[in-house]
Amino acid sequence: MDLLELAPDAVAKARARGADAAEAYAIRYATRHVYIEDDVPKVAEDRSEVGLGLKVARGKRVASASTTLAGAADVAAVVGTAVRGLGQVPEDPDFSGFATEGGRGEVAGVYDPATADAGVEGLLEAARTFVDAAKARKGISVPKATFRLQDYAVRVVNSNGVDASHRGTLAYAYLTVKHGSGSNVGEGVLHGAQPSLKAIDFAALGETCARRAAENREARAYTGKLTGVAVIDPQELGALFLQSVGGAVTAQNVQKKRSPWAGKVGQDVGSASVTIRDKPRLPRGLVSCASDDEGAATRDRTLVQAGVLKGYVADTYHARLLGAEPGNAFRRSAFSLEGAYARPAENHVSNLVLEPGVKSLEDLLRGVDRGVYVEKFAAPELNPISGAFACEVRNATVIEHGERKEHVKYALLTGNFYDGLRNVDGIGRDLEPVPSFYGTPGCAYVPPVAFAGFELVGQA
Amino acid sequence: MADLFSAGLKALESAGAKFGDVRTEERIAYAIRMSNGQIENVSQVRRTGWGLRAFVDGAWGYASGTSFTPAELAAAAKRATAIACANAAAGVKKTSLRGVPSGRKTYQAAVKVDPADISGEEKVALTRELEGAMRGGAVSSTLGLYNESSIAYELANTAGAHVAWREVRVRLAAQAIAQEGDRQEMAFDAKDASAGWEFIRTIDPAAFGREVGTEAAERLQAIKPPAGLQTVILDPDASGLLAHEVMGHASEGDEITKQRSFLSRVVGKRVGSALVTMYDDGTFPGAHGSIPVDSEGSPAHKTTIIDRGVYQGYMQSLETAGTLKVRPTGNGRAQDFGRRVWVRMTNTYFAPGRDTKDAIVEDTKDGVLTKGWISGMEDVVGGGFQAVTQSGWIVKDGELRERVRGMTLTGKALAILKSVDRVSKDLVLSGGTCGKGEADDFVPVGAGGPYMRAQVVVGGG
Repeated sequence: MDLLELAPDAVAKARARGADAAEAYAIRYATRHVYIEDDVPKVAEDRSEVGLGLKVARGKRVASASTTLAGAADVAAVVGTAVRGLGQVPEDPDFSGFATEGGRGEVAGVYDPATADAGVEGLLEAARTFVDAAKARKGISVPKATFRLQDYAVRVVNSNGVDASHRGTLAYAYLTVKHGSGSNVGEGVLHGAQPSLKAIDFAALGETCARRAAENREARAYTGKLTGVAVIDPQELGALFLQSVGGAVTAQNVQKKRSPWAGKVGQDVGSASVTIRDKPRLPRGLVSCASDDEGAATRDRTLVQAGVLKGYVADTYHARLLGAEPGNAFRRSAFSLEGAYARPAENHVSNLVLEPGVKSLEDLLRGVDRGVYVEKFAAPELNPISGAFACEVRNATVIEHGERKEHVKYALLTGNFYDGLRNVDGIGRDLEPVPSFYGTPGCAYVPPVAFAGFELVGQA
Repeated sequence: MADLFSAGLKALESAGAKFGDVRTEERIAYAIRMSNGQIENVSQVRRTGWGLRAFVDGAWGYASGTSFTPAELAAAAKRATAIACANAAAGVKKTSLRGVPSGRKTYQAAVKVDPADISGEEKVALTRELEGAMRGGAVSSTLGLYNESSIAYELANTAGAHVAWREVRVRLAAQAIAQEGDRQEMAFDAKDASAGWEFIRTIDPAAFGREVGTEAAERLQAIKPPAGLQTVILDPDASGLLAHEVMGHASEGDEITKQRSFLSRVVGKRVGSALVTMYDDGTFPGAHGSIPVDSEGSPAHKTTIIDRGVYQGYMQSLETAGTLKVRPTGNGRAQDFGRRVWVRMTNTYFAPGRDTKDAIVEDTKDGVLTKGWISGMEDVVGGGFQAVTQSGWIVKDGELRERVRGMTLTGKALAILKSVDRVSKDLVLSGGTCGKGEADDFVPVGAGGPYMRAQVVVGGG
C-alpha cells in the first residue's frame, strides 16, 4: 500500500483518542548518492524512507510526535505518543487551530520524471562530466565531490478538511577540486542545486571549480586595507542573504522580537534598487509548492519594494497573530528531504528572490573603480541580529578601474549586511539558487551584487 | 532481529561482497522549545531503520530502508553489492581493511537516571524556569531549549562481529536578545553531556538563565574589537574551534589517504610550541562526542594528534587504517542508518597546561580575551583558521577592560599554534555537531581545551 494514505488515518485516530484537532504530514522519499574520491566513484548509496509527523491539539494545548512509517502499527504508536503529550504541556493562549485553506496542484518544473528515474547511473554520468571538465585543466584533481538525487511525495491532512499533496525531485552536488600537490595547492569549491539533474551544468561547474583552484593557488595573501565596492558571487551572497533577510522577514521572528525589521513596515531597509519577493510558486524553484508543510495554500508576495519594507511571511499560527496571510510553514531544507517529518513545521521563507538588475557580471565589474570581487569565503556567516560580519576570503580578485587585477586570499571582508543593503551599488542580472544549509528551510535566488562600504582587510 | 542480520549478511556474501556489515538503529528524541513565556514546540521523534554496506576491492555500496523484513534486507544487499562492484570496475584504487571487529559485545550506556523516566511536566518546568530567568531589564526576547536523545544500535558484520550499544545525550540551551534603541545583541550558551537526567540535575536553570540574560544585556555596551594581528587569549570554546575545525579535520585519515590535507606529511614534525598537545578522545567520560564504539564496531579510542608541539598521527576508520597500515582508532562514524561511514572526530581538544586564566590575563599587556563561540569552518587544504566568537574583553596592562563584540579569528593554524606561549590548567569541552564540510551529514562531537594565549588575526565586530 502507499503509506502516504495513512495520513488521514492518523488524523482520525488522533481525534478518536481525544484530540480536538490534528494535522498529519507524511513524506516518502528515495535518495541516490555518489561520492567521488580521487577522481573516481568510491562510495554510492541507495536509500529510502517514509515518515509521519503528527500535531494534535486539545483546547489550547498542542503536542507533536513523529515516526518512521512502515505500517499501521506505527500510526497507532505515534498517535498515542502525541495524545499523551497533550497532558504534559501547558496551554498556549495564542493557539487558534490548524490551517483552513488548503493548497491545490503542483508548481511547474518541481517534479522531473527523468531525474526521478535517473538512479545511480545518472549520477555517475553527471560525476564523469564534472570530473572530465575539471581535469581538462592541467594539474587538477578531484579529491572529493558528492552528487545526490532525491524524489519525494508529500501529503498533509488535517481535521479542518485540508488534504494537500505534492511531489518533487531534487538534484544536488557538493564539489571540490585541487590544483597542484604537496604544500603548494589551491582549492575550488562549489555547490549545485536544482529540481532536475539536467538543469545543472556539470561541465561548466567543473571548469569554474578548476579555474578557481588554479587562481587560489596563485593568489597572494592580501595585505593592507581596501575600502571600496565589494561584488559578491551569488553562492556566497545567498547564504548571507538568507541568514539576515531570510530571518528578518518571518512573522515568527517579528512576533518574538528576534527580527531587526520588527515594526519597520513602511520604512527604508534597502537602496531603491532593492526589491525582494518570496516566491513559493516560482517555476522550477527548489522550495516551490502549492501548499506548505501545514497544507496551507502558498502565495507569492513582495516583502521589500524599491527599498521599502512591505511585510512579512507567516505560518498559520503567526499569520493569525499578526493579521497576515499564511503559507510559509516548512519542515524540509531546500536541498534535502532527510528528516523532514521529524522536524516541526516552522515559519520560514520559501524561494527568497532578490530581484535581478540588467547587468552581466562583467558589466557590474566594469563599473567598479576600486574594489574586490569575492567568489568564495571560508564560510559566509554573519550575526543575524546585528548584521555584522567578518568573513575570511578564500577566492577573490582585486578590481581597479573596472579591470580584474590580482587574485588574493587570506583577507577579511568586513561590514554590516543590513547597512550593505542600503548601499547597493549595482545588481547583476543572473539569478542563482542558493539553499540554506544545515537543515534550515529556505532558498535564496540572488544575482551578483555590488555593495559600497564593505572593507577588505589583509591578515599580514 | 537475528533473522534480519542473517538475511542481510548472507545476501551480501552470496552477491560477492568481500566484506559487509548491517547496522540497525532506533532513535528516540524529545525536544521542548519555549520562547518569551510561551511554548513554541514540544515533540517526540522516533526514527528507526537499517543500513547495510558492501565492500568490493576498494569500493563501497550502501543501501538502507525502514521496513524490517528479511526479504527487504536481502534485496538491499544485492543492490549495495552491485553498486560496489560497478564502482570497483570503474577504476577505484584497491584497498584493504585493517582491524575488522569480529567479537560479540554489548555496551550499556553510562546513564544513572534515564531521561525517558522523567515526566514531560518536569522537563517543561525545567525549560520554563530557564527561559523565565533570562527575562527582565534590556532583554527583549528569550529562547529556552531542552533536548534529549537515546539511540540504540546493533551491528553485525561478515567477520562474525555482533555489537550492540546505546548512546544517550541531554542538552539544555538558552538564548537571549537584548535591545536598546535600534541596537540588538544576542547571547547563547548550552550545557550538554552524554549522560542521563543526573546531568540535568547538576544545572541550576535559574542561575544559567540569569547568566545568559545578563550577558546579552552587557553586550549592548560592547565596543568593536581591535583589528589585525593581536595577542589573543583564546577561551576554551575558541581553543576548541581551532582544535576541531583546522587541526582535527585535517587529521582525519581519509583526508590523508587522498593527500588533501595540509598535514599529510607532518608526522614527527613540529607544528606547535612545546605547550601544545592535542587529542581526539571518544572515551572522554560524559562528553557530547563520546561513544562506546564507532559505526563500524571499533572501540572508541584516545588518539594523540600532537604531543608537546610534535605531530603524532591521524584518526582512522577500518579502510584508512588498511591503506595507511595502522590500527583503526574508532573514528569510522555515520550520521545515521542511511548514511555512509567517514572518518569523523569524537571529542577533539587541546590538553591543559599549568597556568591559571588569571595569571595569563595579568601577564598580558595588550590583547583580547574571547568568550563563547558561534561558528567555525574547516580548511583542510590550506590550513587556514576562521572562527566567530560571541564576545570578549579588551585586555590592557594585565586587566580586563571594555567588553568587545563578537569577532572573527583568523590566520594560519600552524602559525597560531607555534605562537602559543601560555596555557591554562582548565579543560572545558562544549558539544555540537560536525558536518565534515558537507551541508547535511552531522555527527555529535565535543571540542574544547584550556585558555591559550597566541598571536591571532582579529576582525569584525
